[in-house]
Amino acid sequence: MNRCLAAESVAFAYEPGAPVLRDVAATVRGGAVAGIVGPNGSGKSTLLRLLCGLLEPGSGRVTLDGRPLASFRPRERARSLAFLPQGVQPVFLLSAFEVVCLGRYPHVGALAGPSSHDLEVARRCMRDTATDDIRHRSFMELSGGERQRVLLASILAQEPELLLLDEPTAALDIHHETEVFTLLARLAGDGYGVGVVTHDLNLAARFCDTMVLLSREHAVAACGAPEAVLREETLSAAYGARIRVGAHPFTGTPLVYAEPPEGAP
Amino acid sequence: MTRRVSAGHAVLAATALCVIVIAASLSIGPEPLGPLHLLRQWRAGESIEDAAYILFSLRLPRTLAAFLAGAGLALVGCAFQALLRNPLATPYTLGLAGAGSFGAYTALVLIDFGRLPYSVIGVPMVQAFAFLFAAADVLLIFLVASRRARPTPAVLLLTGVTLGIIANSGIMLTRYFARPERLIDMDRWLMGGVDIVGYRPVAVLAIGVVPACLWLLTQAGKLDQFGFSEEMAAGRGVNITRLQLTVLLLGSFITGVIVSEVGPIGFVGLVVPHTVRAFTGAGHRLLMPVSLLSGGAFLCLCDLAARKVPVAGEIPIGIITTLIGGPFFLYLLVRGRFADWET
Ligand SMILES: Nc1ncnc2c1ncn2[C@@H]1O[C@H](COP(=O)(O)OP(=O)(O)O)[C@@H](O)[C@H]1O
Ligand SMILES: [Mg+2]
Repeated sequence: MNRCLAAESVAFAYEPGAPVLRDVAATVRGGAVAGIVGPNGSGKSTLLRLLCGLLEPGSGRVTLDGRPLASFRPRERARSLAFLPQGVQPVFLLSAFEVVCLGRYPHVGALAGPSSHDLEVARRCMRDTATDDIRHRSFMELSGGERQRVLLASILAQEPELLLLDEPTAALDIHHETEVFTLLARLAGDGYGVGVVTHDLNLAARFCDTMVLLSREHAVAACGAPEAVLREETLSAAYGARIRVGAHPFTGTPLVYAEPPEGAP
Repeated sequence: MTRRVSAGHAVLAATALCVIVIAASLSIGPEPLGPLHLLRQWRAGESIEDAAYILFSLRLPRTLAAFLAGAGLALVGCAFQALLRNPLATPYTLGLAGAGSFGAYTALVLIDFGRLPYSVIGVPMVQAFAFLFAAADVLLIFLVASRRARPTPAVLLLTGVTLGIIANSGIMLTRYFARPERLIDMDRWLMGGVDIVGYRPVAVLAIGVVPACLWLLTQAGKLDQFGFSEEMAAGRGVNITRLQLTVLLLGSFITGVIVSEVGPIGFVGLVVPHTVRAFTGAGHRLLMPVSLLSGGAFLCLCDLAARKVPVAGEIPIGIITTLIGGPFFLYLLVRGRFADWET
């Protein structure tokens, strides 16, 4: 079944009187990569937390296959959609394999430990993300790219159908950035629905099927296919900067470039 | 990666340690007798009344009290370290020991000045005050935390540390008002001791500590998630607020009961979990039960040392645990890292 996670005209404020999202709609569908982009502080992470049910919208609603997300029991929800937040900082020393096994939590009873089936799922997810070779290494000693792939394996071990990721390529070099997005595109090809927050508009243009652009005013500035969203006027208004869009010389997808402010040397 | 022992071996080793230490604790003392000795005497047809009294009315309750207190403090140490995401968190970092001691001192001074009966319907007021003050400490932590949108581990920790400092001033204040000849009794309480007689304290400890410890053990899987990433834990279906509430309340209750019965005994909640973690790894499903057993054994062992060190009388157990725990902790710091912590 093709899963569909949808936010419909949601509004949200952490503090009364300071809205962080105004009348925002976004959809994550099985088999596609949905990019969420926008300037710093525009509410991308907040939108992701609403989509995975960690926050309740002030108005509007979030549904999973038409059913309100809030009506799911938390562990039941976690078996359908997995969340990878930004800046994961574990306090305990864990091996990569132990990190991936943590993903089995929604399937394991409160008292029971992981079964041999759980361990097998964990191994399979590590093979799928090319992390099987490093499973015995300490998680925090891994390189940024390896760590991100292990985290991806860890949320895949939840056996979800939808993945929500907050800036999974932050602090990665261009090669590892592309590697992570390639993996996400492959997962979407396998039927997963992927919602990904990113600052890299060019990667988003290359790998996303649909995009949502949030503006500095915390509203949707544009949504739809990358070509429809990544336009000079729209981006310049959303970011409050001079943004130029060309065509990628090799792929033909939009190529985005921010001009320095006027008068800068 | 550090090499780890298997789950079965870890539990087996901890259980064996407990059996050995408890047997030693029953056998060793000023009178040379133990369960075996008793059996031999009984088979030979000699009177065993005195020996049985020493064994069952003095050594057994004392051993049980030490075991229960050590087990509870070590388990709460594990849970608090994960909950506060901090290797220094112990039952006492949250100010519980300070508050409990402040309560006991307040009661002692009030009793001394005739403002408080020694006991009310059979409940000794010193213990009752120790427990109530520890409970008030947790309540204040919650009040401070609930004023914020989301109580972060750092806020909880800082609140606890601050309340502990305030409680220590309270202790100084009660000392100031106390009659000088009372200060000896008061300070003895502050050193902690399991030199109990009879089964009433053991019963209080068993009723207060055992069910709460079992409940705390059920939170192991959630603590694993929380220690890895709070947001990922929430995404996987852990109710963070409920977890924080459950662990804090259970931990404070266990500590409150222990402090009120045997006084503040420091460092158990620090030394035991950190040592055990080096063998078992940081997974709480194994770490917590093994810490529980090892904590019990550790405090029994400290009690044995307290009884056997050749000085007049015996050394208060709180001093022993601190003398072992302090240097051990410095060693951890000098080595640069806590076993299995990302520091
Ligand atoms: N937990 C929080 N409490 C209060 N305000 C927050 C919280 N998280 C984010 N904000 C505020 O909400 C706004 C949007 O934040 P966020 O969703 O993180 O934006 P983005 O991910 O697009 O950078 C920012 O102004 C930020 O300061
Ligand atoms: Mg963000």
